[in-house]
Amino acid sequence: MNIVVAIKHIPSIADDLPVKGNNVDFDSVDFVLNEWDEHSIEQAVLIKEAVGGTVTVVGVDLIGELDNALHLALAKGADKVVKITADDPAADSHQQAKWLAEAIKGMGADMVFAGVQASNDIDGQIGPMIAAYLDMPYIGGTSAIEVSGNTATVSKEFPGGVGMKYSVTLPFVAGVQSAPKPPRYAPVSKVRQMAQTATIEKVAPTGEASAGLAFKKMAPPVATGHAEMIEGSPKEVAAKIVELLKSKGLA
Amino acid sequence: MLTTIEKILFILLALVSAGFTVHGFKTIIDTIRMGRPAPELKNIPASLLKAGVTVLFQQTIFKARKVLSAIHMGLFFGLITYAFVNLVDALEGLVPNFDLIYSGKHLSPPAWTVPLINAYNLISDVMSGFLLIAITVFLVRRFIVKDKALAYRENVLLNPKVKAGGQAKDSLIVGVFVIMHVSAHLMSQAYRLTEGADPFMPIASFLNSIFGASQTGVHVAWWISIGWVMFIIPYLSRSKHTHFFMAPINLGLAKQNPRGQLDPAIPLKVIDGRKYDPGAKVITDLAWTRIMDAYACVQCNRCQDVCPANFYGRPLSPSALEVNKRYLLKEATFGSHPDLLLAPLTETVISPEAVWSCTTCYACVRVCPVGNEPMADIVDIRRRMLIDGFEIDSGVQNALQSLATNGNWMGKGKRLRGRWAKEMEFPVKNATEEPVEVLWFVGDTASFDERVIPNTKMVARIFHQAGLDFGILYQNESNAGNDVRRVGEEGLFEQLVEQNMAAFGKAQFKQIVTTDPHSFNTLKNEYPQFGGKFEVKHYTVTLLKLFEEGKLTVKNKLSHYKVTFHDPCYLGRYNGGFTAPRKLLELLGVEFHEMPRNCENSFCCGAGGGQIWMGKVAPGERPAENRIKEALTTFERHPNEKKQLFIVTCPKDMVMYSDAVKTTGNEGKIEVRDIIQLVAEAVGVEEVSQIVG
Ligand SMILES: Cc1cc2nc3c(=O)[nH]c(=O)nc-3n(C[C@H](O)[C@H](O)[C@H](O)COP(=O)(O)OP(=O)(O)OC[C@H]3O[C@@H](n4cnc5c(N)ncnc54)[C@H](O)[C@@H]3O)c2cc1C
Ligand code: SF4
Ligand code: SF4
Repeated sequence: MNIVVAIKHIPSIADDLPVKGNNVDFDSVDFVLNEWDEHSIEQAVLIKEAVGGTVTVVGVDLIGELDNALHLALAKGADKVVKITADDPAADSHQQAKWLAEAIKGMGADMVFAGVQASNDIDGQIGPMIAAYLDMPYIGGTSAIEVSGNTATVSKEFPGGVGMKYSVTLPFVAGVQSAPKPPRYAPVSKVRQMAQTATIEKVAPTGEASAGLAFKKMAPPVATGHAEMIEGSPKEVAAKIVELLKSKGLA
Repeated sequence: MLTTIEKILFILLALVSAGFTVHGFKTIIDTIRMGRPAPELKNIPASLLKAGVTVLFQQTIFKARKVLSAIHMGLFFGLITYAFVNLVDALEGLVPNFDLIYSGKHLSPPAWTVPLINAYNLISDVMSGFLLIAITVFLVRRFIVKDKALAYRENVLLNPKVKAGGQAKDSLIVGVFVIMHVSAHLMSQAYRLTEGADPFMPIASFLNSIFGASQTGVHVAWWISIGWVMFIIPYLSRSKHTHFFMAPINLGLAKQNPRGQLDPAIPLKVIDGRKYDPGAKVITDLAWTRIMDAYACVQCNRCQDVCPANFYGRPLSPSALEVNKRYLLKEATFGSHPDLLLAPLTETVISPEAVWSCTTCYACVRVCPVGNEPMADIVDIRRRMLIDGFEIDSGVQNALQSLATNGNWMGKGKRLRGRWAKEMEFPVKNATEEPVEVLWFVGDTASFDERVIPNTKMVARIFHQAGLDFGILYQNESNAGNDVRRVGEEGLFEQLVEQNMAAFGKAQFKQIVTTDPHSFNTLKNEYPQFGGKFEVKHYTVTLLKLFEEGKLTVKNKLSHYKVTFHDPCYLGRYNGGFTAPRKLLELLGVEFHEMPRNCENSFCCGAGGGQIWMGKVAPGERPAENRIKEALTTFERHPNEKKQLFIVTCPKDMVMYSDAVKTTGNEGKIEVRDIIQLVAEAVGVEEVSQIVG
């Protein structure tokens, strides 16, 4: 089983997000791994553990700091890591999907996993676009993938507690919503060991694609209203709320 | 006294007994040697001697249970005496016409020895009586009263043999032995008294008045008394009473490093080029000193009594851990299950849930009379579980991931660490940019938690007002790693140490001060192993010094407050920081009352060792809630109208206890305050905060 996982580096929102011009000030943010990618790595490793095979993790190195994420992937059980040396922090999902698809093309993948979306642009299109470029079927929003022979059973969860199982013939591309188990913890000693011993394969970015969209303006949201905290004992607070509702003609 | 045939029988029996005894102790020693190298012990003869003295005066057992401990002391002296009595009994059997009754007159001893012989007769006679009573008390306690302290919670993992009452069987055998042995000795003496009472042998004389004298009786009683000894000595090496021998040795070889310094995850010393994985999966992964713990354990459950996790119903019992280790070793070495040596500890001695319930409060290690370290085993087991990819609590995992990427457990960006300082009305120096006298290591909770930041700012104002030249590391500070290490994430701990050491390297300072006892502990006790050469103080010590130097003065005495003080584990029990906070409170003029559990015996708030990160909250009365009740009961004994305060000196405590006051419905009755808030009120710094606020 040859599983390829596409991962995405995105600006961390643990800090305040600094804005410069029409985009994020990429020089003063840390980049972190997209949260959903942790799930797609976990999903891939779980399949490998169940039926054997290799897991290759590939990502676009936007600012020259992807190595740590790749070492983390190795510590979690990936066998091989590849980085596309793009060095362009502003590259959009469409461009990244093209680069990724070109890199994945020669890998002979039975399955390609991408996170169902990334929280920086909430675009959700990298998976479907890779599928299109590779001419493979796409299934998104997966919550569990099990493989037997040439077929995968893919679970999805829908609103209202409804679940659905699909039977998908390999090869295919999946947008992973969640792994069936919480992503495992990679002990730092293992990550550091990987950093010292592992080799990261480097691939030059090839191909061009664009969403045809341009950032018009990026700014922190301006507070329009404000919340008033009512002070006092629960009784006093309740009385004030009733008064307020009455004054607005709501009670 | 003995016939030739009896003598031959005796010698044969003695040889067999010695053979089993040697085999028993050799097995124990071989088993202990299977353990990993322990941190180097210095000056072993001296510490063994010290342990001998400690054991002689039974000092360590008096840390808890005073009355029973006194009886235990009596038992101990009784048994020591009896070693001597048995020697004399053996002589009586083997040397013709040897006995000491009637002032030893059958031996025609020199006159000066007569008082000694009389004293011996009196002591051995009275001690025999005492032993019979004392053993009865302990047997009644175990079998009739069924003292709860000797029981385990239902949810605690127990070796099947322990569950089936193996320990009780041990106690019964040894108890019955002592009763039979001592009674037989008394009877052997009573039967000898052919000439009526001996005033120096009141009990034997009394028995003689009932049973009379008898040569056959002397033989039968002698054989029962000494025969039992031949049986019991080899038995001891195979029972829980190995502690007779192993406890003093274990105490002599107990941890010498500071309490706050964990043993490394991989031994520093390597034997025969062996390769070690971090932490412990199977019993031989433990340091040899901690394999020995199992043999030394007296199974008294004192450690369980003080364990905060056990208190609120978690499946953790430090004593069960030691007892299970002991039974596992027994079955593996004396029994027929050598495979148990390769069985995961998490399946045989402690459940994974119990492993993750420990707050690393050190109470169990502190209270143990024989120097055992159950907590160290737990940390080692965590270390290996993490490496082996055991599924860990999601809250702990999130905290660790954030610590690895952001250097703090709260999911906040590095650059936000110094935000509180930028909001101050005076500039707070960046110690990496300009030299400072005192480098304040602020810690995560005090830097990021909105509930605690007002206190953090208060500390800054007081330092500023006192003219202390201080600075902080801003984004260069990372979590000190104390709890990271205790959760078992040794690699992450090392990474954090490297980050902080790099930050310290960029800064110029004379001393570090911390507001967080956890950071204080690791900076003081563990960073030196990573090259840290600096003096570390807790802010309570710094504040006290500022008062003593007159740089801070009490303007308003706070006599309108009635307060109690909670010793944080990592300041108090770990580092002995008991006096500074108490002296401060005295200076501030509050009415102070000590809670029953204070100083060394303080009760953990439940947050340490990573517990504060846990996503899942177990049901049951939490330690912090119990502590708030303890404070209120303390106050009830001193009723008046004063405002009641629960004083803390740890940012985590501020959070833990403020929550506990709410969840126990005691808002209005008691308020949690950091000592800095009282200091501020007393020195009159509040006005500044009003200007700002
Ligand atoms: C990555 C990702 C994240 C998401 N996150 C959220 C979230 O956080 N919260 C949330 O509520 N939802 C979320 N969604 C769901 C999303 O809001 C809508 O479900 C989605 O926009 C619908 O598009 P679709 O392609 O899934 O559905 P499709 O069924 O493919 O397309 C639906 C749309 O196509 C058009 N259409 C389809 N069939 C016809 C027809 N026969 N005739 C005319 N028009 C037609 C209609 O405009 C219709 O609205 C997410 C979706 C994705 C992919
Ligand atoms: S360190 Fe504290 S919580 Fe852990 S086992 Fe010992 S007493 Fe219990
Ligand atoms: S570990 Fe120490 S305190 Fe605990 S039961 Fe054993 S001897 Fe007693």
